Amino acid sequence: MKLLKDKVAKLSFVALLATVTASMFYTPTAAAHGEKSQAAFMRMRTIHWFDLNWSKEEVPVNDTMTISGKFFVFSGWPETVDKPEISFLNIGIPGPVFIRAGSWIGGQLVPRSVSLELGETYDFKVLLKARRPGDWHVHTMLNVKGGGPIIGPGKWVTVTGSMKDFKNPITTLTGETIDLETYNLDNTYFWHAFWYALGLAWMGYWMKKPMFVPRSIAVESGKADSLISSTDRKVAMGFAAGTIAIVAMSMSTTNEKFPVTTPLQAGLLRGIKSIEMPVTSVAVKVEDATYRVPGRAMQMTLTITNNGDSAVRLGEFNTAGVRFLDSNVAQDETGYPDDLLAEEGLTVSDNSPLAPGQSRTVQVTASDAAWEVYRLADLIYDPDSRFAGLLFFYDEAGKRQLITIDAPLIPTFI
Amino acid sequence: MSASQSAVRSRAEAVKASRTFDWLICFTLFFVVLGGYHIHYMLTGGDWDFWTDWKDRRLWVTVAPIVAITFPAAVQAMLWWRYRLPFGAVLCILGLLLGEWINRYLNFWGWTYFPVNFVFPSNLMPGAIVLDVILMLSNSMVLTAVLGGLSFGLLFYPGNWPIIAPLHVPVEYNGMMMTLADLQGYHYVRTGTPEYIRMVEKGTLRTFGKDVAPVSAFFSGFMSILIYFIWHFFGQWFNKTDFVKSA
Ligand SMILES: [Cu+2]
Repeated sequence: MKLLKDKVAKLSFVALLATVTASMFYTPTAAAHGEKSQAAFMRMRTIHWFDLNWSKEEVPVNDTMTISGKFFVFSGWPETVDKPEISFLNIGIPGPVFIRAGSWIGGQLVPRSVSLELGETYDFKVLLKARRPGDWHVHTMLNVKGGGPIIGPGKWVTVTGSMKDFKNPITTLTGETIDLETYNLDNTYFWHAFWYALGLAWMGYWMKKPMFVPRSIAVESGKADSLISSTDRKVAMGFAAGTIAIVAMSMSTTNEKFPVTTPLQAGLLRGIKSIEMPVTSVAVKVEDATYRVPGRAMQMTLTITNNGDSAVRLGEFNTAGVRFLDSNVAQDETGYPDDLLAEEGLTVSDNSPLAPGQSRTVQVTASDAAWEVYRLADLIYDPDSRFAGLLFFYDEAGKRQLITIDAPLIPTFI
Repeated sequence: MSASQSAVRSRAEAVKASRTFDWLICFTLFFVVLGGYHIHYMLTGGDWDFWTDWKDRRLWVTVAPIVAITFPAAVQAMLWWRYRLPFGAVLCILGLLLGEWINRYLNFWGWTYFPVNFVFPSNLMPGAIVLDVILMLSNSMVLTAVLGGLSFGLLFYPGNWPIIAPLHVPVEYNGMMMTLADLQGYHYVRTGTPEYIRMVEKGTLRTFGKDVAPVSAFFSGFMSILIYFIWHFFGQWFNKTDFVKSA
């Protein structure tokens, strides 16, 4: 007996452990640090984020901040990734450390998925309300159905205060103001506890009686019918009738209490407005482009033609959120994340103003540790070794023009 | 099957041993069922059970009972035909809900900080009680499958309505109308669950207008009947003593 008991006890313990482990199995993905492991071509050739601005670097709980900027849906979208016909403007944070109080593309609220078009530029804004203290890396992010998450640049933001002070008041269309953080919680606990208790009562009724060995003997000797008494039947009918009655009653009292309810809202949002980008007057031709592995530098030969009426200079090369600037022409004043900003990372062999009507071939070098840190150099191992990015030109009046480039990239290892 | 020959010396001792055995079996069964059922339910019903903004009147109502009636049907087959114990379905649901609550409380809330009012599990108990009672009173697998399976599907939505109705109150939010449940899904950022993978309010039952929940519940009930049969047979097969006898 002792032996049997020990054995069963041991088994139970193993089962218990297995179960607890199994139930610990699933946690919704919280981490948002996939940016570096995402294939370089995905980051370079899908969504180009620019003019980004994180409104604050430190936010107390309950306060809000915004992330705003623009994104260009790259015209040379890779064949291997589904087009952003169904996509969702998300935010890359480790779980709900902020709540998303609002998000807009082209001025339209986008709580649902949207349809975007290649070659278009959109402006966006995400309003975040701080919920949980800590240092969080806050990324822009666009999920594309069939393409996965496309993570944009991230910046560290500190949330201060205490999460227990967090409030999320919402006024419903029935005129009630509730705190969505705790709303309906007691009701949920009550009904779950109630039904769990009823289930336990049903089990308890049968567990009071001898169970497995004597009942098995009775069934095997043909006396199965004697195991269910008329009292048992009455109790069972009571349980079933009670269950149905409680379900019916609780449903009708719920309907009285909440006469106005609507179905969940879903569906794709179409017709998202893009930005009318000014007509460009600069033409750029990529003659060749190489990536020098030991120097962590990309070098391209560009033929630039100015068809406008004001002299221009190249100020910035932006790819995958990394910004290479020629500090003589352009500086960052937005507090762009340091690790993504090469303030003097752009060297142009001749960056003197290019007069209207003129054409010039220059050597442009974009060098920074970011190539390695952000694993953009891995591009050379991609099946279709092309790079892409945005060039920003500035004219005499400081007016900016954006030119997209997309060309093959040849690595050099010496 | 005489237990009184070698291991115990008196009748009192035999009764005591049998009772100890009862508790141990119950305990083990409970946790084994909990583990298997929990994994099965998370893989098949997953997101519909995790988030309030997936708990709609079409797909959640349809999917949840169909994937949930599996283990109850099998465990009923084990406990009823061999022991005439009519608590197979309730035992399963008690196990499942305990596992789900541990998971939601520790992982969703404790680890990732999703509010519990957004991630609580669905209530499956009313259908389970009725399923057990029907098997006990009818002593028939066919009747239990047909009546019980149908009830299991039909009781699901009304059994959950008192819990989810408050979350279906509409709000106007920045110029759009949505339910509080939708708003929870929007506010509490899920990086890994973009909005477009949400499968709600899809289907071909449009012709029924706004009374779509009962129609979905009936459909779910019919499917539950089929699944009940399959898993009941599965439970019976699993419960055969052939393996033991030959040994
Ligand atoms: Cu990050």
